[in-house]
Amino acid sequence: MNKKFLIFFSFFVLSMPTFNQMVYEFQDSLQEKRFYSLISEIRCPKCTSGSIASSDAPVSRDLKKKVYELILAGSSDEEIKVYVSERFGNFSDYRPALEGANYILWFGPFVFLSLMLVIFFLKRRV
Amino acid sequence: MNQFLRFSILLLPILILLFFGKVLLVDEDTKFKNFESKSFPEFQLNDLNGNPVKAKSLDGLKLVNVWASWCITCLVEHPFLTQLSDKNIQIIGLNYKDSDTKAIAWLQKHGNPYLFSIYDPRGDLAFDLGVTGAPESYLILDNQVIAHTQGEMNQAKWDNIFLPLIKKARQRS
Repeated sequence: MNKKFLIFFSFFVLSMPTFNQMVYEFQDSLQEKRFYSLISEIRCPKCTSGSIASSDAPVSRDLKKKVYELILAGSSDEEIKVYVSERFGNFSDYRPALEGANYILWFGPFVFLSLMLVIFFLKRRV
Repeated sequence: MNQFLRFSILLLPILILLFFGKVLLVDEDTKFKNFESKSFPEFQLNDLNGNPVKAKSLDGLKLVNVWASWCITCLVEHPFLTQLSDKNIQIIGLNYKDSDTKAIAWLQKHGNPYLFSIYDPRGDLAFDLGVTGAPESYLILDNQVIAHTQGEMNQAKWDNIFLPLIKKARQRS
């Protein structure tokens, strides 16, 4: 009976997610912190939205591995982001560049808000 | 003043509708059309037969197609690629995260539209190219990547994205 239980529970232990996941080991906690903040700031190229941290697509796995390797090799955050966008395009960056139609994205909400405020105060005076 | 207010309140939903209309009804190929050309990454890989691939083989106008024997959509686009190669479009395969024996067997079974296939089992060259999965296609002009599509290559994508660039390139030369 005991033996059966042992075998039964060993299934649970052996199927723990740790056996299945890539484990990243860092030299210090700063590197680790940078890693986790970077992978949440790089967009998964295979997903509609979502970072590579939230994705298990093969390309996201490759990207995470690359970010990890680059951190260990001493690259800065900015260098890593450039490295990724050189290959996967500006799409990989969550912060859209300040150019062209993106001005609407960046300043549209403020224009909209000020317009609303103007209308609101004009309306109150009437 | 009151009239202006009424007018602007009416105008607002129209503007919002226009904005979302523009964002949502955007042509799906637009993101492929806005591709910024870049040079083809350097690599040291063999073809499927084990011969080293020379950078010179990417001179001229070439279609680089990312494929694998495990990739189902590659099988879907395969007849179209065969048509292209029959029309003298030079296609180079990039065999992506595959095993060479399986890849060779796949080509024997379904036909080989490629001049040769670069064997990239770890996906190193694919990563530098910005491949997100198979199939994807790249248009190469003298070692420069000038266009990129993801997913199945078909007549519509070909006519819409690659053909105008090919015509332009042929006019110049």
